[in-house]
Amino acid sequence: MTDFSLAKYYAWFTALGLLVGGLVIAGYYRDDYREWKDYQRKYIKEEIHRAPTPQAKMLAERIPVEIRQAVLPDLHRVDRCTTCHLTVEDPSYGGYPQPLSYHPLHEQHPFERFGCTICHRGQGRATTAVDAHGSVPHWDEPMLPMQYIQASCGQCHEAADNPAAPELAQGEQVFENSGCRGCHKLGGTGGIIGPELDKVGARRSPEWLKKHFIAPASATPGSIMPPQKLSETNLEAIVLFMLSQTGESASGYYSSMKVLPNTREGLHLFRSRGCYGCHSVNGQGGKVGPPLDDVGLRRAPEWMIQHFRDPQSVTPGSVMPKFGFTESEARALTDFLIHMREQAVALSLPSLMSPVERGKEVFRKYGCAGCHGPDAKGGIPNPNSKTAEQVPGLLHVADGYTVVQLKARINLGQHEIPALDPKRPPPPLYMPAWSGTIKDAEVDDLVSYLISLKPKGEDVGF
Amino acid sequence: MNAPAPKRLWQRFTRTRVGRSIFRVGLPESNLERSQAMVSSFLLHVQPAKVHRHALRASYSLGLGLISLYLFCILCGTGVLLMFYYVPSTDKAYDIMKDLQFVVSAGLVIRNMHRWAAHLMVLFVMLHMCRVFYTGAYKNPREFNWVLGVGLLLVTLGLSFTGYLLPWDQLAFWAITVGTSIAGYAPVVGEKLKYLMLGGHIVGQDSLTRFYALHVIVLPAIAVLMISVHLFRVRKDGGLSRPDEPGDVVEQIPLGQLPANKSYGLMELARGTTPQVGKNPEDEVFSWPHLVFRELLLFLLVTAVVLFLAIFWNAPLEEIANAVHPPNPAKAPWYFLGLQELVSYSAFWGGVVVPGLLVTALALLPYIDRKRHGVGRWFARERVVANTIFSVCVAIAVIFTVIGSLFRGPNWSWVEPWKNPPAVTEGH
Repeated sequence: MTDFSLAKYYAWFTALGLLVGGLVIAGYYRDDYREWKDYQRKYIKEEIHRAPTPQAKMLAERIPVEIRQAVLPDLHRVDRCTTCHLTVEDPSYGGYPQPLSYHPLHEQHPFERFGCTICHRGQGRATTAVDAHGSVPHWDEPMLPMQYIQASCGQCHEAADNPAAPELAQGEQVFENSGCRGCHKLGGTGGIIGPELDKVGARRSPEWLKKHFIAPASATPGSIMPPQKLSETNLEAIVLFMLSQTGESASGYYSSMKVLPNTREGLHLFRSRGCYGCHSVNGQGGKVGPPLDDVGLRRAPEWMIQHFRDPQSVTPGSVMPKFGFTESEARALTDFLIHMREQAVALSLPSLMSPVERGKEVFRKYGCAGCHGPDAKGGIPNPNSKTAEQVPGLLHVADGYTVVQLKARINLGQHEIPALDPKRPPPPLYMPAWSGTIKDAEVDDLVSYLISLKPKGEDVGF
Repeated sequence: MNAPAPKRLWQRFTRTRVGRSIFRVGLPESNLERSQAMVSSFLLHVQPAKVHRHALRASYSLGLGLISLYLFCILCGTGVLLMFYYVPSTDKAYDIMKDLQFVVSAGLVIRNMHRWAAHLMVLFVMLHMCRVFYTGAYKNPREFNWVLGVGLLLVTLGLSFTGYLLPWDQLAFWAITVGTSIAGYAPVVGEKLKYLMLGGHIVGQDSLTRFYALHVIVLPAIAVLMISVHLFRVRKDGGLSRPDEPGDVVEQIPLGQLPANKSYGLMELARGTTPQVGKNPEDEVFSWPHLVFRELLLFLLVTAVVLFLAIFWNAPLEEIANAVHPPNPAKAPWYFLGLQELVSYSAFWGGVVVPGLLVTALALLPYIDRKRHGVGRWFARERVVANTIFSVCVAIAVIFTVIGSLFRGPNWSWVEPWKNPPAVTEGH
């Protein structure tokens, strides 16, 4: 033991010291080597190569190798994509291979304000290609395939407002017309048989959604949702629409920019904010304020925008309240008022529609078609139900129900659907109680619509 | 003089005015200087000038206690570095883990070191306890140091457990949810205790704040204090345990029993097992270099192992914590998986009775097993009963931990790890 000589200790110190030193150096290299540095050096080399003058060359040589990022607290994001994708804003790199490529059409969404992942998804904080593109374990948001990129528009903008996202608008149409809301809630409206869809786009992959629409039970064992017979384009469109439902909440600057300044959105605002309560268009609407039919000829656009910001500042003594429109809303309304004449806009105010027309809207709004079929014609399978194993169509309800009975039926629903064969599992689809969801006045309209469905000239007389 | 160059340089430095003022003795050359070096240096004086040969035998102590201490030091160092970045906020903690990985220089390596050193420390503290048991080292006069050791084991588990939550990922969130719910099974106080730990009924911001405060201030402070006392007692109780030898019977006068009608020098006051009187000087060697150099070498070795692990294996980080998406199965940290396995049979017995009895039995052990024989030898024949009982307990703990870690799948059902896990179906 004591024979352990000093020389032996020194040998051990040297060996272990070298080992620790070697590991520290290895650790340093592992930490120091980052693939983005390679991309940046490549970029700098390209810039030097392109420099037209010695001076420009000198500037290019001074481009620092460093992390680049957009810090976006209102979007809860830090996007470091431009650490590798250095040239997204440089049109002269159009057509270059990735990562050094140019991103066209970004004027409306500058990178320093929006970053990248709000549209493309992926992992913004990551600085390796694999991690950043997000198809790695323990990261829920891989990059969105480009064929579905329009879904991202729908996170902030109304689906139908955006002329640049036609597939998104189509997806919304498919969603509303297929009666999905009969079972699913979205944005607070819809049934309770299926799960809420508010954040479905963040939870599910495009592949899962597609599988789910074609054969729900294959994606979710035990699902009672009927398979959806959709054309290939409609299927892609509704998948895209579902992907747009991410529950992304942007605040501050972003919420003020949500509304696209176009005529359609202006009309939507004009109706939803109740402008017609005081003003009229085409003779429809209130009489308190002046009619607005030719306001576009009388007033300059700047005047109108200022008027929306603060009515009294341009019309002293005006009784119109300050509505607190955002800038983009003010622009959308102005756009609507200017272009209204040439487009012969019909306001189609609910109060001016007939109860049957309104009832048809109610039928569509709450997704009754999801079970009762398009135009209430039936045909949706409900295995083992007594009504020919289908959810019944509603064309003949006028024969079997009085108005009062029909209202009660809608409000109370029917949980137990009579089974054809008691030995088989009970029919999965049932009629939920709609009272509290569909408003009373809407139920009245809906009943009017359903009664009106009875084919004309047909009087069977049981 | 043909000493190696670094040594010559060092000697020249310690002979300068500045060098002498710092090191006082300089590199010792004679036995006298070796003793002087030990007693005149703050860092070295904790240890005796001379140490029994037995204490140096690596095959006896295996260096387990020292390794635990070194791991604790590495944890303190890397922990402080991590604190420079970490914010205990449910909004930020997870993002900071990502930043450590992707943009902070050496962030990932340091987090890896902290993680692996933490797991190793739990493991080595347990191994250290086994060593002390199998060599009967907890017997008189070291009874209380064993109790301190049991306390340190609990503090170590507490440190690891509180640190587990801080990354705020799914692994952290659900491990703490499971771990604290085990505490909730205690009768009467269980629910209150769980509420106290979490600052609420489920893991949330208040839990994170509490765990952070415990992890970086409270528990490290307690650990430092207890480790200090533990080391102090090692020395005061006569150094590392060893077999009794003829001629080293120590005069044992209890502290309070000195005649009061005379005055004493300091050496006379230090009674009990402390003074090295009556021991055979032939059995002792100078601490410098034999003890100090070995300790330093072991430190280098531990550092190397932790660095190696940290460079080649990343600490786990799952998805951000999500209170509505429990993984199936949700598992506690590995050192509590034996308990979780027991809890799956019976919450009360597994979560309360068994761990309660175990800790009590461990703490009382030196006062129950009082016969002073078989001290200082591994698996002494005289202690075959105690060793057998202890071994059976350890084996059961290991078996349950292995079952809980590897053989439990969704809904805590039995799975065989070498087979593919059954597909987990996603319900609505």
